[in-house]
Amino acid sequence: MLRFRIRTRPRKMASLEGLGSGPEGRLKRLRKHVTALIRHERLETTYAQCDETRGYAEKLITMAVRNGDRDKHTMEMADYWLLEKDLIHKLFKVLVPRYQSLPATATSIHRISTEYPGDGRHMGVLELKGNPWPPVRPQPRNTRLHLHNIQLEEAKKEYHQERLRAKSAAAAVPPEGSSVDGPAGSSVDPDPIDSESESGESKNSGDSSKR
Amino acid sequence: MALLAHVARGCSRIPKLQLEAALSVRFQSTLSHNDTKARRARELRPRRNYLLNDEVEQHRKSLLQQSPEVEEIPVQQAEANVPRDFRHVMPEFLPDPNPLYRDRVTEKLERMDMYRRRTCIDIPEFYVGSIMAVTMADHHAPGKQSRFVGICIQRSGTGLRADFTLRNVIDGQGVEVRFDMYGASLQKIEVLKLEQRLDDELFYLRDAAQEYSTIPFDFEPVPLPKGATVPVNSTKVKLNPRPWLERWERHELKGVEDLNLPEKKYRRARQVAKPWERWDLMKRQRESINEDEEESIMKETYMETESTRRARGRQKASLKKTR
Amino acid sequence: MATVSAVTLRNALCQLQCRLTGVPQHAFGYVGLVSNYCQVRTKKQTKAQYKLEPDWFVNRKNRRQGKALTGDNEDFVQEVIGDTYRNQDSMLKEDPWPRQEYHRNTRRTGVVAIKLGVVPQWTKEGHKFFTTLLQVIDNHVIRYTPPEEFEKTSGWKPWWGQRFGSVVVGAMSSDPRNFSKAYNNLFTEAGVPPKKKLTRFLVTPDAAIQPGTPLTAMHFRAGDHVDVQAKTIDYGFQGVVKRWGMKGMPASHGVTKAHRKMGSTGGGGDKSGIWKGKKMPGHMGDKWRILKGLKIWRINTKYNVLYVQGPNIPGNTHGVVRIYDTILRYKRPAPDNHPPMPTWAEEDSQQGVELEYFDENLHVMSEASVSYSQ
Repeated sequence: MLRFRIRTRPRKMASLEGLGSGPEGRLKRLRKHVTALIRHERLETTYAQCDETRGYAEKLITMAVRNGDRDKHTMEMADYWLLEKDLIHKLFKVLVPRYQSLPATATSIHRISTEYPGDGRHMGVLELKGNPWPPVRPQPRNTRLHLHNIQLEEAKKEYHQERLRAKSAAAAVPPEGSSVDGPAGSSVDPDPIDSESESGESKNSGDSSKR
Repeated sequence: MALLAHVARGCSRIPKLQLEAALSVRFQSTLSHNDTKARRARELRPRRNYLLNDEVEQHRKSLLQQSPEVEEIPVQQAEANVPRDFRHVMPEFLPDPNPLYRDRVTEKLERMDMYRRRTCIDIPEFYVGSIMAVTMADHHAPGKQSRFVGICIQRSGTGLRADFTLRNVIDGQGVEVRFDMYGASLQKIEVLKLEQRLDDELFYLRDAAQEYSTIPFDFEPVPLPKGATVPVNSTKVKLNPRPWLERWERHELKGVEDLNLPEKKYRRARQVAKPWERWDLMKRQRESINEDEEESIMKETYMETESTRRARGRQKASLKKTR
Repeated sequence: MATVSAVTLRNALCQLQCRLTGVPQHAFGYVGLVSNYCQVRTKKQTKAQYKLEPDWFVNRKNRRQGKALTGDNEDFVQEVIGDTYRNQDSMLKEDPWPRQEYHRNTRRTGVVAIKLGVVPQWTKEGHKFFTTLLQVIDNHVIRYTPPEEFEKTSGWKPWWGQRFGSVVVGAMSSDPRNFSKAYNNLFTEAGVPPKKKLTRFLVTPDAAIQPGTPLTAMHFRAGDHVDVQAKTIDYGFQGVVKRWGMKGMPASHGVTKAHRKMGSTGGGGDKSGIWKGKKMPGHMGDKWRILKGLKIWRINTKYNVLYVQGPNIPGNTHGVVRIYDTILRYKRPAPDNHPPMPTWAEEDSQQGVELEYFDENLHVMSEASVSYSQ
């Protein structure tokens, strides 16, 4: 099973191996890409080719993880798709243990900038996860100490406290149909948001000018 | 806090004046005079007039929606010993893999209907190549019922559209009848001889001698020994000399004798063959249901149909041996 | 002019046939129509116009970029959103509006649904036919405008005067953070989460619905007839062979560069020039189309699915459709046996809601096979 969205129809890419090479030429070229990907763990070419290659590489790794090296069909496929035969060992001995318990895709794909001046092709990078290369994208910034996150954490505490209070109040007073309202009723009461200074710095604060 | 404020404001009782103010927000055009041509075109481009399957699924799983989520098929480890080739026994339970027609609710409702129908009428295990008899309600037949006996030459369709075709020769004339498996006027389906052939479709019987598809209407049922797998009938059919309905040398037929054609024909067949399709993993992926989904559907099907099978006292599915 | 002459000619021929054969005219209506079909050559198609939404629409998209939240905070925000909108009934601010009697001219609101797929069903006579599954997906009434106000606010003078008010129905609740504030505020009156799809139905004032009322598949009954309105599949720019079914020209016999062309565009002399409405290549599909008088064969209340007659509801799978009571005179519900007014409420089903409702002519899968008596 593939864990990413695939195109409904494949790209034809008819002339990859020279003009008129047809669907067979397409597979031949993709085979080279898959081999290179397993060998070097990172591949840089046009985005379309990266995307097409990704499906085949993922499928091959998924099959290897699922069926193991005893399965005849899987072995045949590995033999066809990997042109350099030492990579078959790498697939079953290195990659299968690496991705066995990974609940996500084994590869990741990135768009990179188009070369200028150049032929204007959209370029991409396809890589195996857990490769030894430096990352393509910078590490995402840790936003935990940003103002909005700190504020939200405070709001969360307040929210849960208020909820507890409402619950205990409901338990103290014998219910008369009012307790059905649940904790949400009190929590959504927009008491703490009256001050206009807060709406000024809110996330969706563009409307403040209108008021 | 501020975000919470925004969220909470969504449902709070806003005074009417404020509401009107919000409604009379001046429309700010997304286009302006100094836009590029490309951006203008992008804004004016017609939008997709349907939702993607992912969007619908996302909505079904969201907390805000009202209608019940389609529950995942429960995986019960105790009853999970589904036979390995069960999808060959009931292939019609696997949905059409075309992504344009996939929808989880439709498939679920369709399968529920099929289980219900199977409790009312016994739809036995059969394969292409089995000899079967079908009894239908018929306005025009004496006794208001008609019975047709023949060899199954094709199974097709998925879900409630599933059907099969029987072929026989009657008074020297080949007759083929296509039956809906879940049709309302179907009275009885009998499998007179449970077996399979070397091919998945037997349309080449149309170009073969008539005795290959002649089955007497009083054909005696041939019971299968208990616990036996489905036998494969390895008869090789001898086709009539050309002309044929199709160029059979271009199909990879296993159940046909040597065709005795000139070398030119075989050469041409080799030219138009597509041997690389065998290696095309993604083609296979697109044309079939993925393994996890297939497993869960088959698990559900097995659990649902087992109970009716037990109630009928019918023998356990004697599984097809993969060729 | 052309239309009038065609119709009069057809009527005259029909009468002639009746007089000759002595059969009453209504029996020949259909025959006459077919034999005297006259194609009217006027401009029927309007050019597809891709315009922005009108000025008075509020801006829908939230164009501000969201700030990156930590995982915990994201969970918290979703929790708040969920808590806020969970208990829908408490959001109805006023007491429920009184229910009124159904009248012959009553027009109720419709619902918004998505098209799920096509499956076969069988009648009690054993005939197979196709139904389309339409799921009424998370519908709520957003706003009701009475006729007096609607007449003023519609921006033009409606020819129907003050007969109809309008009801805005929304489908598919979603995260309020996806939309602009102005758009979110449209839903404050109803007290429901902002909806992805909004649509408007004309209703008579006796079928007015309170904002915030949920609409389900129980709005209709099995056996009722409905009209279904949807956008057809968008094929883009197409040639005449696909768009109009023209034949093109042969593959061989000296044909060059004209295999899929339309050939001549018209004659000369008096009829010269290209007539209005000439069938030509162009944009195909993505147009609103209505199918009228479709029967509802079956209703699934758990998933809110209607099984509607016919395989040909316009649009793709998961296309959005509008469903409302049919306007066809002889298929409209009778006043003595009418659907729930203004919509279904729980008090209507005293015995509880069943999982499925079937039309009386539908073969139910859990029943025995159809057989004919001797």
